[in-house]
Amino acid sequence: MKITKKIITKIEGEATLKIHKKNNIIEFAEIEFWQYRGMEEFLKNRPYMDACVINPRICGICGHSHLIATSKAIEDALDVKITKKAEILRDITLGLEIIQNHIKWFYLTLYPSVKSKDYFKALEFTKEISKIIALIAGQFPHNSYSIPGGVTCDLTNLELIKIKNYLSELFNKYQHIMDIEGKSNDLEELFSDIPKTTGKGLNRFLVLGDNLFFKSNGDVKYIKEEKSTSLNKNVMYKDKYFEVGPLARNLDNKIIKKIYETFTDSVYTRIFARLYEVNLIFLYLLEIIDNIEINEKNYTKPLKKSGKGIGVVEAPRGSLIHEIEIENGFVKKYNIIVPTQFNLSNSTKENPSPAQSALMNEDEKLSDFIFKCFDICAVCVSH
Amino acid sequence: MHSKPKVLWIDGVSCYGCSHSFYNYPQIKEILNKIELIYHPLLPSSEFKIQKSDLLIIEGALKNNFSRLDYNLNELISKLIKLSKKVLLIGTCAVYGGMFGEGILFDKDKEGKFYKCHEKMISIPGCPPHPEWIAYAIEMIIENKKILLDKENRPKEIFTYTSHMGCVRNEYFEWKIDADNFGEKEGCLFYHQGCQGPFTHSSCNRILWNEVNSKPRAGTPCFGCTEKTFPKKNLFETETFMGIPANIPLGVSKRAYLTLSGVAKSLKNERLSKRLIDEDN
Ligand code: SF4
Ligand code: SF4
Repeated sequence: MKITKKIITKIEGEATLKIHKKNNIIEFAEIEFWQYRGMEEFLKNRPYMDACVINPRICGICGHSHLIATSKAIEDALDVKITKKAEILRDITLGLEIIQNHIKWFYLTLYPSVKSKDYFKALEFTKEISKIIALIAGQFPHNSYSIPGGVTCDLTNLELIKIKNYLSELFNKYQHIMDIEGKSNDLEELFSDIPKTTGKGLNRFLVLGDNLFFKSNGDVKYIKEEKSTSLNKNVMYKDKYFEVGPLARNLDNKIIKKIYETFTDSVYTRIFARLYEVNLIFLYLLEIIDNIEINEKNYTKPLKKSGKGIGVVEAPRGSLIHEIEIENGFVKKYNIIVPTQFNLSNSTKENPSPAQSALMNEDEKLSDFIFKCFDICAVCVSH
Repeated sequence: MHSKPKVLWIDGVSCYGCSHSFYNYPQIKEILNKIELIYHPLLPSSEFKIQKSDLLIIEGALKNNFSRLDYNLNELISKLIKLSKKVLLIGTCAVYGGMFGEGILFDKDKEGKFYKCHEKMISIPGCPPHPEWIAYAIEMIIENKKILLDKENRPKEIFTYTSHMGCVRNEYFEWKIDADNFGEKEGCLFYHQGCQGPFTHSSCNRILWNEVNSKPRAGTPCFGCTEKTFPKKNLFETETFMGIPANIPLGVSKRAYLTLSGVAKSLKNERLSKRLIDEDN
């Protein structure tokens, strides 16, 4: 047996993969993250509102999910209810963040690990998605328009009409990437030389957030974080590893389910679910935008000053958890658990995490591709 | 035809928001076609190696004992700076340290580890910087055009402005009418909500974000993210002194500002003192 060490880049940061192999077949893989930024420490003793500025900076591609999780955690701690309107707006901006993430990931991260592809068409698309977010939130990346109690913006129908038209225009454009039937030339091209059953995970799925149309199938109280061999922490649910993300949360969709039933939880199914989720989000946003009552309040001021709370959202890569303890208006404790920690825990050969399981028994030359199909966010892990 | 300038884009301690911001530049393809991108942490490029470059772009901060691509980060940055003709610092992290550590040029308000190389450096702070600012800097550098810089190596064409300039809440600022609350189109956020627009060097309300908006326009205060002080504590509240904001607009004396505020407040603007769109009106 031989062990080779590889630094995997272009994943919003970097990870170290130690591959144990025999005749180029992966027997086991260790996944390590060697960066740490100390975000939770940085938040301590600051007024809790500062978390709405600090936390988006955990990550440049999914920072908005961190913002919404922050708002929810504080709202939970201080018993604040937000209006339906604020909730819909958050769903729209978060849904859009997921969309831009998936498109960038597919063309900028995943494709280049197998073959080259014009990625500018992805950027042309995602810059328009960012624009819709900005119409509501001021800018993208890194806005702070979602705050405990609601949102800071006060839209008029002018913006709503514009947003709706953008949404339907981009939904139509997306049909060229993957259509509503699930057909995608680019995806088929990617798999022209790779078997679609490659890279099976654990076939155990977890959904903890209930934003957008997602339905939670678990309870955060069963989550446990454990030390790992590198700076990452392993995350388990009821003492087991679970896969989180687009495949986990869309298994009740009949088109995704059909693919899953054919290829099980392989790399192909995982990628398919991610690309197809974009269609589902577009359709959902086009529906909920009509439910906005323009005269409804945008913001309710929190009155309590202390409390403990948890905010969970389905972020681009899966369930994201923020926990806060506030004392007299200041952050006493903060803890963040990100989706990549679930999918890429570094465990043992006998009890592997989803990504470790997917890598085992596969050809080493596909390691980069299989690894990246989980849409890793190393920078989130190194919070 | 001469060869394209070699550009190496390296990441320090970062969140990659600077890169993602740049991705929103509508003509990004035109820019990338003019250069040879020899390394980028996210965009497709060849394997990383320590090598010479015409332009080194740094995103992210320095930090001791931080590993990057199997090197010690600070040592890696030092080598790359030595091997480059020009250095472009992108983002508040790279310029001042920002959220994550020490900047390349400055460590907050002090000179930073590589201040000695300041002559070949350009700062484009912002967390993240606007895509147009990044594009501007790359173009100006590769075309060898002269960039007028301020004392912190920021191009004056971008940073001589304040983010307050061009904000749609300017009328409220003139009449010193504050916003009662978040989530309202009325009122200026300078008096209570912590807006740092009047004293932040930036052009967020002149060159709009994503071509359509800005934070203060969307009801969020300016957090001064282009400055060495970012992120200050208590970002959603205005610190006051004698009933007026403790930090006053750039270029005015405290006394003058106090007088002006008093006068503006006494001359009530009726139109701006109520909700702009009201069902009863
Ligand atoms: S300056 Fe801001 S956007 Fe850029 S890397 Fe630092 S935290 Fe991220
Ligand atoms: S909200 Fe801020 S940027 Fe806008 S006018 Fe007021 S002070 Fe200026």
